[in-house]
Amino acid sequence: MSDSESGDAQPLAQAEARIAACEDLDALKAVEREYLGKQGMVAQLLASIPEQPPAERPGVGKRANELKRGVQAAVDSHRDALAGARVDAERRGEGFDASLPPPRPQRGSLHPITQVTRELEDLFQSMGYQVLDGPEVETDYYNFEALNIHADHPARDSHDTFFCEGDGHLVMRTHTSPVQARALEKFEPPLRVVAPGKCFRQESVDASHDHTFHQMEGLVIDRDISVAHLVGAMKTLLRGIFDQDLEVRLRPGYFPFVEPGFELDARCPFCQTGCRVCKRTRWIELLPCGLVHPHVLRHGGLDPNEWGGFAFGLGLSRLVMLRHNIDDIRHLLGGDVRFLEQF
Amino acid sequence: MLVSYRWLQRHIDLEGISAEQLCDDLTLSTAEVEGMEEFAPHLGQIHVGAVKERVAHPDADKLSVCTVDLGQGEDLTIVCGAPNVDAGQKVAVATVGTVLPGDFKIKKSKIRGVASQGMICSERELEIGENHDGIWVLDPDAELGAPVADALGLRDWIIEIDNKSLTHRPDLWGHRGIATELAAIYHRPLKPLDFSWPALGDGAPYPIRIETPACPRYLGLLIDGATAEASPAWLRWLLLAVGQRPIDCLVDLSNFVMLDLGQPNHTFDLKALHADGIEVRMAREGEHMQTLDGEDRALGPDDLLICSGDTPVALAGIMGGEGSKVAGKTDTLLLEVATFEAAVVRRTSSRLGLRTDASARFEKSLDPTLPERAAAHFARLLQELQPEVRFPAPPTDVGDWTDPAHTLSLQPERVRRELGKEIPDDEITSILVRLGFGVEKSGDGYSVAVPSSRSTKDVHLDRDLVEEVGRIHRYGNIEEKNMRADVAPPPKDPRRILVRAVQDRLAGAGHFHECVGYTFIEDALLEKLGMQALPHLRVVNPASQGQDKIRRTLVPSLLDRLEPNRRLRDDVRLFEVGKGYVPDPGDPSAEPREIHLAGLAWATAPVSAGARFDAHAFNQLQAVIIDVLDHAEVAEIRWRPCAEPPAWAHPAKVLEAVGPEDGPALAVLAELDPALHNPLGLSGDHASDVAAAEISLDAVLGAPRRGSRYRPLPRYPGIKLDVAVALPGATEASAIREAIEKAGKGSVADAELFDVYRGESVGEGRKSLAYHVTLQSEKKTLSEKDEQKFLKRFRALVEELGGELRSGDAD
Repeated sequence: MSDSESGDAQPLAQAEARIAACEDLDALKAVEREYLGKQGMVAQLLASIPEQPPAERPGVGKRANELKRGVQAAVDSHRDALAGARVDAERRGEGFDASLPPPRPQRGSLHPITQVTRELEDLFQSMGYQVLDGPEVETDYYNFEALNIHADHPARDSHDTFFCEGDGHLVMRTHTSPVQARALEKFEPPLRVVAPGKCFRQESVDASHDHTFHQMEGLVIDRDISVAHLVGAMKTLLRGIFDQDLEVRLRPGYFPFVEPGFELDARCPFCQTGCRVCKRTRWIELLPCGLVHPHVLRHGGLDPNEWGGFAFGLGLSRLVMLRHNIDDIRHLLGGDVRFLEQF
Repeated sequence: MLVSYRWLQRHIDLEGISAEQLCDDLTLSTAEVEGMEEFAPHLGQIHVGAVKERVAHPDADKLSVCTVDLGQGEDLTIVCGAPNVDAGQKVAVATVGTVLPGDFKIKKSKIRGVASQGMICSERELEIGENHDGIWVLDPDAELGAPVADALGLRDWIIEIDNKSLTHRPDLWGHRGIATELAAIYHRPLKPLDFSWPALGDGAPYPIRIETPACPRYLGLLIDGATAEASPAWLRWLLLAVGQRPIDCLVDLSNFVMLDLGQPNHTFDLKALHADGIEVRMAREGEHMQTLDGEDRALGPDDLLICSGDTPVALAGIMGGEGSKVAGKTDTLLLEVATFEAAVVRRTSSRLGLRTDASARFEKSLDPTLPERAAAHFARLLQELQPEVRFPAPPTDVGDWTDPAHTLSLQPERVRRELGKEIPDDEITSILVRLGFGVEKSGDGYSVAVPSSRSTKDVHLDRDLVEEVGRIHRYGNIEEKNMRADVAPPPKDPRRILVRAVQDRLAGAGHFHECVGYTFIEDALLEKLGMQALPHLRVVNPASQGQDKIRRTLVPSLLDRLEPNRRLRDDVRLFEVGKGYVPDPGDPSAEPREIHLAGLAWATAPVSAGARFDAHAFNQLQAVIIDVLDHAEVAEIRWRPCAEPPAWAHPAKVLEAVGPEDGPALAVLAELDPALHNPLGLSGDHASDVAAAEISLDAVLGAPRRGSRYRPLPRYPGIKLDVAVALPGATEASAIREAIEKAGKGSVADAELFDVYRGESVGEGRKSLAYHVTLQSEKKTLSEKDEQKFLKRFRALVEELGGELRSGDAD
């Protein structure tokens, strides 16, 4: 039987050799089909059984099954090997160009004024301030009269007001301060509010002036408010904006709706020795502020002997320009995507 | 306002206080100093020389060759063309290398063969006078070799004070007022000034009548024998230092008194005045006068006039008239020193656009006690200059004025409480006294007498005294304190929350760039868009012509920004959140309706032929609007034809979105009218597919909100299948969508249109729509039988619509 056994072993060895020679899954599949398919060698062997002499039949059947198992095992193991080789090849990462650029990310942007406004709104809200809105087309009463700037007040000159058609009582608001007067009318003290928004001044446009710009007004009404509290609040505010303790100085400033009125200058955060931003003075004029004028409190229906407070104004456009070192204010409202997409 | 350091020294001793120091102190205690510069700094480079010898130039008739001693041992040879140069004179010498005004550098040169080692200067060359007829001959006592600036005491620093910070301080519009502040700051006394009248004759006072309360005081003084000759150097130089051109001593003195005390004044030539005297009255309707600047001014009853007889001779407080100018030798002058109502002067000056040094002061509300001192000051100075001058009569001093000086009571505790600093009583009172206030103890506080100079305008309340103490004490010496208050979270503002949501969604998921636009909208743009007829609120004094309208909506401004940006990028997406103003059609003076909007505009390169059916900007933008409204938690939106499409909209491709309860449109969406592509520059090389939309934030805030949208996850697997139907071309996609819903009998979890096709294979005039459909039941796992039932019902519905089911395959 050794002959026939060795003869029987031969097809399996042959099959194993052919399987091992397969370089890809398609070739392997073809070999597999040749042996194990419906018309394959194993099937033919089994089909030939009835034609065999009865004594041979068990042997043929056994050999056929052994061939089937052997081929199957060889195919499975070679398939695993091929898959492994493929993973190995992939893992070698041939042809990978690490310098290939990714697709351009598509992105939109929030306007830098929006970004700074939000940051300040959040800062103030965290300190208990309410954020208010006011109309851009304002009445003479709120823009001037209620703020202690009566009709013939010389301070009106510096406001370079845009006047609306009609009987003259409508103006484009020249500052966000009218929201102070509106807030005093609408809410009961104590009060902490800020009001960001657009303002308008009829002045000639250049790199540092635009007739449309943004401000944020602040108003605090409480009992026993002093200049010392104002200084404290302004320092806290600047710390929030610039993330550092800036040296500040308070000097007299004249705004009819505050008394006393101040200009608060901060040490220029951009230089040690004087630069373009601070016009070489090392101080930047940041915050006009002051104690709310008793007349303004009275206009708002409050008794100045009972209530006091302070108000301040922040130039948002200026703050945006300072923060990003923007050299031309006209970019802010210019709507150029090359500017907008930088933020 | 310009202030001269040297001028201030006439009023206060500034020994040991540099100009820089003075500027810092004024800024911290009084008013903002905008800048400081040295007056005529070149005078420090010019030296006093003595002409030792003058000989005629050998080759030129008009030139002299001078030997000049500069006190440095070696004499210089200087060729000079001035006729008045002579030996023995002290002169101003610019040596080789000196740079004179106008960037004129002195070089070594040969003039007609003679070497010249410098230049002997005229006043005009040094910009300290008009005289160019000859060289400037200096005082014989001028120190030889010294810089001219020092030898003549001309070193000066000019301090510019921001006028805005003096709006409330009429007292600071002259050097005396600034000196008063310095006296308080430096604890130094003011030098006394003699405000008493010089010898006055007993002639008849000049007749002056005031017919209006707009002139509370008018003081007139007759002056005999004055000559309009050149002013002495000291007067000319002080005026030059503060930017005033010296004219003659009468004009110069008038300016000097104004800049010294802050009180404008005027001189009339009595010859030119009517015998009836001066009348101060309001102008009559239709009256005219010619002002000194040669302009004819149309006047009305709001304008205050100084009249001679009935003829206007000056626009009170603003400018004199052409007719009464003083020139040359005059026999008699009338000096006018008056007080005019600030508001009246201001109104006329603003209306005529005529701002003068005088009007700037009068409109600040001048002290009515000042005219008498100013007139006496003028008289005394004039007599110093021209001793032959006489004052033939007492001044005429008329008007219904009252001294505004008043008294305030001050509790020192109030000062401490409002400043937040423990400033002792004696410091409070010392500061007030130094500033010229009278202070007397009264009960547990003080009675403070406010001087008239501070009483017209800014010191009326005890709060005003708090400011006085605070600024002289220095705000910088007040230490910060923290407020103590109950801080509660501020109420939520739905609009602000919505604005942020819209901005975030558009800039984030939508890839839009946020713009902030101008509120003014240009006529040219409105015309392009066919919106010029819409009523707009307007300003009467626009920044530039054609920019007087206030925008109603935001989209036009965005459309205007598309073309320049399309030149730069293939895909331009812009949005803005802002306000529009709609005027009241019935009453143009009424406050306009303010509307809150988000505008969007999207321009892309034209869509290619093979692109998906929904690749157009219109479809994309619609998806963005849906996303934004969903993000804003609007319960449910529906699209419907737009009832009032905006002017820029494509007449057919325009829709509006409404909430579940209809109501006002939440958003309007449209393709840009094809007729506008060309006017907006979006044709040719920049041809674009453009859509725009406007979201009404007001409507969104008013629309019902959806609550939480969580639904439990399905418990059974669903079936996904694709269906395609061929239809008559005019059938709307919504009919098929409805058929899918109906065929599904509640089991359709999703149906997404993914293809629209027109072509031969579906037949002429027909189209094919293909959907991904998901069937889902909450009760069981759906079977193939359920799918077949769905397809059978769907087929029947499609056929009812005149269509046919082309395929229906489960994945």
